[in-house]
Amino acid sequence: MDPTIEINERVDVVVIFRKHADIGAFCVPYRMRWRGRDIELSELALRHPTTQGKRMLHVFHMSDGVNDYRLEFDAEALIWMLVALLPGTGGDL
Amino acid sequence: MSQPPDNNDAGMVHGGWALPYLTPAPLPKPDAGNAHGTASYTGSHQTVSGRCRTSGDAAKYHLNTEEPQLMHIDLNSAFASAEQQAWPSLRGRPMGVTNRISKECCVIAASYEAKALGIKVGCRRTEAMALCPDFVMLETDPSKYTFMYQNLMRIMKTYSPNIKMKSIDEGVIDFHGTRLVNSRSLCEIGMEIKQRMKDEVGKFMRVNVGIGPNRFLAKTAAGLHKPDGLDTIDHTNLIDIYKSLELTDLTGIAEAYGARLKAHGIHTPLQFLEAPDDLLRRKVFKSINGLHWHERLRGYEVDDYVTNLGMVGRQWVVKTPSNDDEYLRSCLHFLTETTAMKLRFRNVEARGVCVWLGFAAGGGWKDKQMLHTTIYTNQDIWLQVSRLFDRRPGHMVVRIMGLYLYELTPSTRSQLSMFDDVEKADYLTKAMDEINDFYGSFTVYSADTLTGTRHVKQKIPFGGTEYFELLLKRA
Repeated sequence: MDPTIEINERVDVVVIFRKHADIGAFCVPYRMRWRGRDIELSELALRHPTTQGKRMLHVFHMSDGVNDYRLEFDAEALIWMLVALLPGTGGDL
Repeated sequence: MSQPPDNNDAGMVHGGWALPYLTPAPLPKPDAGNAHGTASYTGSHQTVSGRCRTSGDAAKYHLNTEEPQLMHIDLNSAFASAEQQAWPSLRGRPMGVTNRISKECCVIAASYEAKALGIKVGCRRTEAMALCPDFVMLETDPSKYTFMYQNLMRIMKTYSPNIKMKSIDEGVIDFHGTRLVNSRSLCEIGMEIKQRMKDEVGKFMRVNVGIGPNRFLAKTAAGLHKPDGLDTIDHTNLIDIYKSLELTDLTGIAEAYGARLKAHGIHTPLQFLEAPDDLLRRKVFKSINGLHWHERLRGYEVDDYVTNLGMVGRQWVVKTPSNDDEYLRSCLHFLTETTAMKLRFRNVEARGVCVWLGFAAGGGWKDKQMLHTTIYTNQDIWLQVSRLFDRRPGHMVVRIMGLYLYELTPSTRSQLSMFDDVEKADYLTKAMDEINDFYGSFTVYSADTLTGTRHVKQKIPFGGTEYFELLLKRA
C-alpha cells in the first residue's frame, strides 16, 4: 500500500552549491553515504522548507535514477538525515 | 564521476527566488482572437473558442458583457501531484493520498492515473485495491502542500494585489483595476502562470486556468478541460458552454439542488438560465439564493463577499472504535486543545460548546451548551467539553467524535481582569502557546492528552485557508 520505507538515520552527504544570480548559491545534495554505500544522487525532484517550532529544516526529495530518497537537513544542528526511501523497480537496497 | 544532479524539474524556489537555469518555455501565441477579444489556443491546451455571436444572446438573456477580469487557478489533483513530483518512481502510476492509512481509510486526492481507473476522492482503500491491486497510498505531508500553496499564492500576487485563495489548491485573481498597468491578455497570463508553476515548483505540477466575468464562470471554465486546461467563458460562448454541461456540472449544484430544480421542470443549465428570477427565488430556492443564481448564471458577480467566522472545531475518526472512557477522553482532550489553539489563533472567545459522537452501530449523540461567560483557555474549554462528554451513553462504541465552539466574539483578554485567577490562567495559556510556537507542536501539553497525541494526526484543512499559518507553526 505505502511503498515508502522509514529510515530516520544520519547520513554523510556531499553537496554542491550551484551559482544563482539572485540568491548567490543554493545547495543540492550530490552524493550520500548510507550504511557504508556511496549513492550518487542524480535528480532533485523537490525541495521545500519546513519547521519544527522555530527550527528550520530543508527537505530534499532526491533520486539516484532507481530509488527515491527523502533527505532532511537540520539548519540548526547541521545534520543530514535520510528520513525515508522509496525503492524503485529492480532497485538494490 | 557522474554528472551533478539534474534539477531541471525541481521545486527550487524559496522565499520568492526563481532559478536562473530554468528558462521558461516560450509561451504559445494566442490566435488573433475574435471581435470580443476571446482568444483560443492550439496545441496541448484545449480551449473553448469564443464564437463571435451577435449580441442577440447577450441581450436575450441579459448576460454580463463585461470583458472577463477574473481568473480561477486550480492545481490538478494537488496533493497527488505534489507526491508524484517528490517521488519520481510514483509518476505515471495510480496513487492516492489519505490522512492516515488504516483499513477503511479514504482517498482524499487521487492521481490522474488512478482517476482513469475509477478511483476517485472518497473511495475507500478496499475499493481502490479491488480496482487496482498496485494502487499506492501515501499519508498526507502538510509541509509539502503548504509549500505548493505558498508558491501558488506568491505567483498569483505578482499579477494583482486582489487575490483570494479559496482553498489549499485553488484561488482567484481579480484583475479589475490592473489593466492599465498590465495590458497583456488574460490568456497569455494564464499560460505564463502554468509555466511558472512548472519552473518554480516542479515540472509535474499541472494547473487548470479558467477566465470569466465572475467567480462562478471562471471556476466553471477551469473545470472544462482537466488536466492542464485553459478556458475562457464570456457572453460570446456562454450559451454553448451551458449546452454542453449537465445541471450537476455547475459548481454549487449537487444532487439535492439538482432534484429541486428538476422538480420545477429545470433539467439543463440552459433551462436554468432561462428560468425567471421570480420562479427561482420564490419556488425553487425559496430564498435570496434564487436571485443570486439568476445573476450568477449570467456572469454577474454575487460571490465576492467575506464570510464571518461562525464556529471553530475539530473532528476525528476514532482509530480503533471503542467505548473505553480513558482512551476516548484523552483523544477528545487532544481535540479540545487543538480547537482552543484555533480559537486563540483567530483571537476570538466562545460562549457555546458542542460535543458530538457517531456510533459504530449507527446513529449518534450530540449535546451543546450556551454559557453565561466566554471561554478562551484550554482549561476552561476542556472543563465544559468534559462535562458534556460525561452525559453521553457510555456503553456505545464510538466511531467518530468531534466538538465545536460557537457564538464567537472578539477576544478582550488584553484588558485587565478584576480577578487574579482569571489572569493567571490567561498568562499560563499564553506561555504554553509561546513555548509550543518556539519549540514545535505539543512541546508542553496536558498530561491527560498523552494518548491523544499518539493517535490523532494533524489533518490537511479543506475548504478554508484560515489556519495554514497555524498549521505551519505547528508542523
